[in-house]
Amino acid sequence: MKRDHREISGATDYSSGSGSRVDSSSLANSIKGKLWEDDQDAGGMDELLAVLGYKVRSSDMANVAQKLEMLEMVMGTAQEDGISHLSSDTVHRNPSDLSGWVQSMLTELNGPPTPNLDPVLTTSDSNSSNPQQNQSQPRVFSDDSEYDLRAIPGVAAYPPPKSDSDPESTRKRVKTSMSSSGYGPDSSFSSPQENGIPGAVTESSTRPIVLVDSQEAGVRLVHTLMACAEAVQQDNLKLADALVKHIGLLAASQTGAMRKVATYFAEALARRIYRIFPQDSLDPSYTDILQMHFYETCPYLKFAHFTANQAILEAFATANRVHVIDFGLKQGMQWPALMQALALRPGGPPAFRLTGIGPPQPDNTDALQQVGWKLAQLAETIGIEFEFRGFVANSLADLEPEMLDIRPPEVEVVAVNSVFELHRLLARPGGIEKVVSSIKAMKPRILTVVEQEANHNGPDFLDRFTEALHYYSSLFDSLEGSGVAPPSQDLAMSELYLGRQICNVVACEGMERVERHEPLSEWMSRMETEGFSPVHLGSNAYKQASMLLALFAGGDGYRVEEKNGCLMLGWHTRPLITTSAWRLATAETGAKS
Amino acid sequence: MVQNHHRGCHRQGNHETVGESKEKRPKFFINDHVDILIEILKRLDCRSLCVAASVCRLWCTIARNDSLWENLCFRHASPPPTSVRSVVLALGGYKRLYMGCVRPVRRRLGRARRASWAGDEVQLSLSLFCVDYYERLGGSNSNGRLVVGESSPSSSLMFLCKPVNV
Repeated sequence: MKRDHREISGATDYSSGSGSRVDSSSLANSIKGKLWEDDQDAGGMDELLAVLGYKVRSSDMANVAQKLEMLEMVMGTAQEDGISHLSSDTVHRNPSDLSGWVQSMLTELNGPPTPNLDPVLTTSDSNSSNPQQNQSQPRVFSDDSEYDLRAIPGVAAYPPPKSDSDPESTRKRVKTSMSSSGYGPDSSFSSPQENGIPGAVTESSTRPIVLVDSQEAGVRLVHTLMACAEAVQQDNLKLADALVKHIGLLAASQTGAMRKVATYFAEALARRIYRIFPQDSLDPSYTDILQMHFYETCPYLKFAHFTANQAILEAFATANRVHVIDFGLKQGMQWPALMQALALRPGGPPAFRLTGIGPPQPDNTDALQQVGWKLAQLAETIGIEFEFRGFVANSLADLEPEMLDIRPPEVEVVAVNSVFELHRLLARPGGIEKVVSSIKAMKPRILTVVEQEANHNGPDFLDRFTEALHYYSSLFDSLEGSGVAPPSQDLAMSELYLGRQICNVVACEGMERVERHEPLSEWMSRMETEGFSPVHLGSNAYKQASMLLALFAGGDGYRVEEKNGCLMLGWHTRPLITTSAWRLATAETGAKS
Repeated sequence: MVQNHHRGCHRQGNHETVGESKEKRPKFFINDHVDILIEILKRLDCRSLCVAASVCRLWCTIARNDSLWENLCFRHASPPPTSVRSVVLALGGYKRLYMGCVRPVRRRLGRARRASWAGDEVQLSLSLFCVDYYERLGGSNSNGRLVVGESSPSSSLMFLCKPVNV
């Protein structure tokens, strides 16, 4: 079905099929022109377009493409009133018959005159007369480069040369609706029209132009993303490559969240195709910074912290000495609120011990210790006895409970806290089992787990991709809709934070793929199998979470739900993160300390 | 009458009507009775309190007194345990708590209109206030002890309001 002109690059040549793929790289035009002519398969529909719902004969492809470009140029430059009649009193044929539709549009547009367009010209060989050329598009652009200044209408950008109409172009970009790039037909071409459009435009040729329906374009974008993922799954890298480029252009036509999501997914797919895998082992302080911005922009992390803290607070009840083990200390933003709540506890604060676990820093600074100092300062200010220890570990599975100096439960009550850390262990076989047994050895009164509510760990790539697409679309939507006016840098960094997750889910495999999110049902069955029983987060936690969300400007979109005693935060109907609490099923019930 | 008039000019800042009708009554200047003044100012709302702070130096000093702001914070809630005061003062004082957290929280939750939340607003504000303090524990002075940055508000509260100048 696909054809590959790039024999220079050594790609294999698919000889069958009726579609065509084009490439705008530095191949000589003559090669391209000849191949195009050679492989005409008159009468066959282009299969790639058929996937998207357009029926175009492959023999007509260049023709249709040129007409679309003409149409686009006219639409773009015509005066407002010149085309408004198109929306009201014209008859357009079914756009799936692309050729006929374009023809009818162009006929309509022949009437109104177009403004004086920049008459840039190079050589051309217009053998065929273009009946429309004199009427609606008297000018022609040459498009040697993507950002040809001469493409800009008017004389300001580029003073016109002296030549006049009937231009020729040595190399034009004819955009087909599938490929992202055009190719230049040889001057020996006779059938296509000579009018070209500057290459800097986007893929608008796939959109219905008059009834601009960006939802339609959004649907196309999603379909193209799915088609590309399917191609990757089938190891059909040529098609995937073409589709990925196309996604880039389709995404540029969108705005807002959809655009960003599509861009990140396209980049991740490209990485997977070209096998340029991102390094996960980037500077951890950089990821910390990104997470801080994410913390500030949207309520997900705050929700996680507040609900987990509430569960821990209730578990600590009247204990005199408490010990919290944090599996991912990062900047320690979770603990000030807990310390404040402990300080104001009726009956006075307990002695508070915190053990923080973090990844090794590349420059050997002790980030954990710095966080510990800050927390110690806070503890001194509010009057809590505080003790801190930091542990550096590459992976939680490397941790041995003996290292943590766990004191007996009569002396000290232990809580274990994990925010977005457990899913990483699923990348190594046996990782999660080891960590869970370590947790059991710590004999915690409560274990709080916050995880993403998504299934990004299935065996099938396409399923994972679809799931991830929906999940991150909702997430980006919520960022967009939060309406708070953060400095734009905050938003950009938050998006980058999520973008790196997307890259990991889509592009990496094996041990590299650490973002192995699983839904609550999976975690519940796993924890119950390992001997934990759920602790219901109470109404206090629910109330606090609801209040917190009401504070965010986009508060209407966020939803707190309770499910099996766990709290889920979601955006509209889609739950996005879940907080759950667990205790050992065989724990002594009467032990108080 | 002239003497009294001079006295009236001397007490320019008094907005109290008591000052205006002093010809009829025994002379009473509110600024002489700071305890009464405090009782009155305690019952004002935030905006009036800020306006009162710009009346004269005495009023300004009184309005800056943290106990007035403490009343504002806990006006609709049950009186807190005494331990709260030491914590709040250590974290920056009631005025900062009110302006930075309680007021925006109340304003935003007021839109949601849930009566059951009234008591918990302050709790939530306290938590956010503590996080704010922690974030401001940025730089360290020459002794190596961490000091709290006074000027810039922490970004963890950005979602609540624009920067507040306390």
